[in-house]
Amino acid sequence: MRALHIYVLLAAAALVLVSAGQLNPYWMHVAIIAMYYGILASSWSLLAGSVGLFSLSHMAFAAIGAYTSQLLINWFGIPIPLGMVAGVVMCCVLGGLIGWVCLRMSGPYLAIFTLGFSEIVRITIATEDGVTAGMAGLHTDQLFPDAATRLPYFYTAFALLAVSLLLMGLLVRSRWGLFLRAIREDEQAAAASGVAVARFRILAFAIASGFAGLAGGFYAHYITIITPSMGDLNEMAKLVVMSVIGGMERLPTAVGGAFFVEFLLEKLRDLSGVHWHISILGIELELQNIDQWRLPVFGVLLLLTMRFARNGLLTPIWLQFVRLGEKRSRAPSAAPDIGPEDSRA
Amino acid sequence: MSWDYFFVQFANGAVIGIIYAMIAVGVTLIFSILKIVNFAHGDLYMLGGYCAYYTIEFLGFPPLAAMAVAMVALFIFAIVLERLMLTPLYSDRTERKDEYGLIVTFGLAYFLRNSAVIIFGPFALKPPSFIPGVTRLGNLILTNDRLVAAGIGIALIGGLLYFMQRTIWGQALDAVSQSRDSASIVGINPRRFNSFAFGIGAALAAAAGSLVAPIFSLAPDMGVLPNIHAYVIVILGGMGSVTGSIIAGVMLGEAENLFTAYFPDPTRAFAYSNAFGVVILMIFLVFRPQGLFGRRHLRME
Repeated sequence: MRALHIYVLLAAAALVLVSAGQLNPYWMHVAIIAMYYGILASSWSLLAGSVGLFSLSHMAFAAIGAYTSQLLINWFGIPIPLGMVAGVVMCCVLGGLIGWVCLRMSGPYLAIFTLGFSEIVRITIATEDGVTAGMAGLHTDQLFPDAATRLPYFYTAFALLAVSLLLMGLLVRSRWGLFLRAIREDEQAAAASGVAVARFRILAFAIASGFAGLAGGFYAHYITIITPSMGDLNEMAKLVVMSVIGGMERLPTAVGGAFFVEFLLEKLRDLSGVHWHISILGIELELQNIDQWRLPVFGVLLLLTMRFARNGLLTPIWLQFVRLGEKRSRAPSAAPDIGPEDSRA
Repeated sequence: MSWDYFFVQFANGAVIGIIYAMIAVGVTLIFSILKIVNFAHGDLYMLGGYCAYYTIEFLGFPPLAAMAVAMVALFIFAIVLERLMLTPLYSDRTERKDEYGLIVTFGLAYFLRNSAVIIFGPFALKPPSFIPGVTRLGNLILTNDRLVAAGIGIALIGGLLYFMQRTIWGQALDAVSQSRDSASIVGINPRRFNSFAFGIGAALAAAAGSLVAPIFSLAPDMGVLPNIHAYVIVILGGMGSVTGSIIAGVMLGEAENLFTAYFPDPTRAFAYSNAFGVVILMIFLVFRPQGLFGRRHLRME
């Protein structure tokens, strides 16, 4: 049975949707935030993993999407969904512009350039407090002001994530996706083979930034307050940690990385009450407040992943999962090739 | 606005510029040898500052000796990091080395910064001055800390230039940066110089951190902005050019300080002075990626 994994995924999704009401408010919040990061991680992995454009301005685009949406709502009183769409359009345009400006840059130069752009965005938002309320944070309108629980937000986040993944997955599997990966492997060779490198680099930037803006817009209308630190370097680092730990070359593994990291970050809070007494060679060590090491732990995990499992921790699992149905139908002696299309999903 | 004001700002700009140059020289040295942009450089600078602070606090060292301790400690620490994390950069089997270098140093920065918040606490610390008090030169008043920082900074940079140009090890370093293969043919072990360059860069950053600490005080995120400034300088001066970095460092320090001093809206001046440097960076990356002086431009493979 081919593509069994798709049915498994659909079944799991249906299960999640049906049982979402059982989650307590805290974990539902964690799940919603995890899906927000899921959209960001997958769109960043489209840019960094598929096209090889290591952009550090992805979170800045999320902030731009969020601020654009709310500011337009404040100024013109447009409905919230329209504000989110405006944020996405804004991010697409700006992202395309950034992509165009740094067409000639590669690797570290692009990273430095986008780092500079994200700093400018952060500084501008923080400083122009007459417009953006600065560091105090901008109050935003709720998407569902009448909702008693977070369930509507959960479904919205789920739908946005699913649609984003579907669209990006289609893009990655299409002929265009092939062009994008060709650019990553060797830009000159791709150009020589007839790929319009410039056009596709700009396109990739615009699309990925648009999804970042979408995530940011949703976040703004869920959280009800946005601050400039939404797009700062620490958030960007978190996104890199999520994507790389999961596996930045595939969309589902990047999303899985986002879920994994976000879940573990919350789960590790439970360690706050733990006291460990260790005595080694007569030296008494008292460990407490272990939970505050949550963030450095993920730094170490990122370094270990890069050093020993560069494809990401979830990639082998995902590849096994994708081959679920094929094992049964194929003779064991068959050539150990990877499924024709699944290897790249 | 009087001339005195201008001169004070000018002198402050020169001091900051020298500190920036020390950080940027490390970045450019690491880039020319290891062919990576070190995103964790600002955090090595932060660690250097804290290392000097705790040497003064717990061991009772005088500030200058503490600076030396910090330099040695960060030199060793950086070599350990390089051995542990960056060796795949030299293997032929590693694909996409610049991506590897980027993510690893970026992750390292994240790790160091967040660990520092826990170990050193989130609050700003202020170590004792090198020499307390101020110095008057006519109408020009400067704190001694700034003078010491500038003096030691110039001495260290001068020492580095002498080392790079006049000693056999320095020339070997230069040889490795020009061609690894040719260097190994004439008997230079490039691997050893990878560690060495990373260590020297970190030691310079540590010196900068301990010099800056009495002026601006220490905080776990103090490395973020100097790191970005170092990139501005490195791009301005030309990637891989040590002298270019020194000149560009002083220029940026001046430009930024005078920008802050004469920006029409003083409440926003400081915030935008950081953006000012970044705008310069972006303009240069787009229009003149080889830097101001048009030197040999090292491109990534």
